[in-house]
Amino acid sequence: MERQSPLFTVFVYAAALLLAAIILAPVLWLFVMSISSAADLSTKPLNWWPNEIDLSRYRLLLSTIENSAGASFTASLLNSLKVAGMATLAAIAVAVPAAWAVSRTSQISWSLYAVIATYMLPPVALAVPLYMGLAYLGLLNSVFGLALVYLTILAPFTTWLLKSGFDSIPKEIESAAMIDGARLDQILRIITLPLAAPVMATSALFAFLLAWDEFFYALLFTSDLRAKTLTVAISDLAGGRVSDYGLIATAGVLAALPPVLIGLVMQRALISGLTSGGVKG
Amino acid sequence: MSALAIQNIHKRYGEVETLKGIDIDLESGEFLVLLGSSGCGKSTLLNIIAGLAEPTGGDIRIGERSILGAHPKDRDIAMVFQSYALYPNMSVARNIGFGLEMRKVPPAEREKAVKETAKLLQIENLLARKPSQLSGGQRQRVAIGRALVRNPQVFLFDEPLSNLDAKLRMEMRTELKRLHQMLKTTVVYVTHDQIEAMTLATRIAVMRDGRIEQLGTPEEIYDRPATLYVAGFVGSPPMNILDATVSKEQLLILGDDQPIDMPVHFRSVVADGQRVKVGIRPEALRVAKGGETGAQFKARIEVVELTGPELVTTARIGEQRITACLPPRSAVTAGEDRTFVVDVDVLHLFDPQSGRSLATD
Repeated sequence: MERQSPLFTVFVYAAALLLAAIILAPVLWLFVMSISSAADLSTKPLNWWPNEIDLSRYRLLLSTIENSAGASFTASLLNSLKVAGMATLAAIAVAVPAAWAVSRTSQISWSLYAVIATYMLPPVALAVPLYMGLAYLGLLNSVFGLALVYLTILAPFTTWLLKSGFDSIPKEIESAAMIDGARLDQILRIITLPLAAPVMATSALFAFLLAWDEFFYALLFTSDLRAKTLTVAISDLAGGRVSDYGLIATAGVLAALPPVLIGLVMQRALISGLTSGGVKG
Repeated sequence: MSALAIQNIHKRYGEVETLKGIDIDLESGEFLVLLGSSGCGKSTLLNIIAGLAEPTGGDIRIGERSILGAHPKDRDIAMVFQSYALYPNMSVARNIGFGLEMRKVPPAEREKAVKETAKLLQIENLLARKPSQLSGGQRQRVAIGRALVRNPQVFLFDEPLSNLDAKLRMEMRTELKRLHQMLKTTVVYVTHDQIEAMTLATRIAVMRDGRIEQLGTPEEIYDRPATLYVAGFVGSPPMNILDATVSKEQLLILGDDQPIDMPVHFRSVVADGQRVKVGIRPEALRVAKGGETGAQFKARIEVVELTGPELVTTARIGEQRITACLPPRSAVTAGEDRTFVVDVDVLHLFDPQSGRSLATD
């Protein structure tokens, strides 16, 4: 619309600001909590902004002194990175050929629906068989075991996303390459995968986030620093007799940082991935 | 020796038979157009020649060799797709040279070939660009260049001009004709546009429901359509088809009381009282000024449309509509009764049941 009344413009901006506030307010409050002293957090009425900025909890959580709260937090941070990273890489490796095959062969698209159907099962339904399976393989309380479990969640999800990505790349481009003399691996490597790069980046990011935020399986299948992930570590902080809400908030802020950083780095690819379908021949 | 032989090709998808036995023999340097409306099987046939689909039965030979089962890259063909199918992530130069690159042609030689092709198509200044930076017509040239550079035995075109606007389509049509005259390559070209077919082809195969309705030169297709379908498909506006009965070696058009003469060569094939369909090209009709010879009949003019070069006039004989393409300055107005005249020799007669032409050659 070229002509808009000033009132309408005000309304549009107000709506945008409201949305931003709703999304950002919890994050902001988390940050304020993490830098407030315990006294500020427990006064009535609440101090919305701390009297003095207290960064001691960041020091505590990031310290590397053995057997400290910091050591266990950084260990779980590392575990989370390992588990989410491995599961994401494996999921993409599995999903790319699967998604391409399903996208190019409509006769087997039912198989993807079958896989997606299992995805609808609540995690609790699978918890016991997965536990027994991992125990049998000796993979309980192991980052590899947890990554394997996450792979079962991520692979269908990434296959689904990648399939729609491949769908938007015209089949004729591959036919043309075939007539031009490219082998299957060359078609994928030189043409299809570069065109699918944005959607692959998007899938990888969402897969990483999904694995990063997972709590239920991590709680069940890990027991100590060797494999415990961030989400479990944070819940441990809340599990003591005295809960330091500031500490939990600090852990939350630190836990949010890696995905945010990855998101920022991949921002360009991410945006073009979310608006994919713009592939023109 | 035929350059491309299509022998009794069948294609069946489950219960549906899309190609019901196609036979075409192409001489080297021929420009064959597969013409038909969507769903007639023309693209399926092209894909079978390209190797993108396999036939259920029949054989395809290029030169002396059967190419069934051969990989598309080993068939010595090149194809231009409707959607251009350029590689969006590569420069124009690499797009054109990709086939050579895959065939391990040395870079220097490749570059030379790409340059020559680009020069031929007047896209030398675009070689460094990506397909997304090109206009539709430029993309089409690149797609043609990609096919030309490999110098294959047979070129396949799948509705290459249908994504272009009308003006550009005409330009590219002339361009394609120029290229074919210059390079004398064998071409199979799929289209639903009868003007493209008429202008480009050395032979046209009009297809319908998986069969070839008529195979012939553009002149044969236009002047001697074998069936009502071909008569109605080729020509714009299409041929007028009127119901008539044979009466004493003359034709009585339904709704008109004045019988008209019948072409001599039809007299032996029709019986008195037989119902026939009479085909008259709109451009064969004239307004009678008096003193003409030929078939004459009265019609009431309903609509007059000036397109510029001609006056498209729709008139009615009883319940039957008839379209005539008249000279632009013809003095006709809607609502009046006029006598139209047509040379008896250019009348077509069809059997109303089978739809086949009654002409005997």
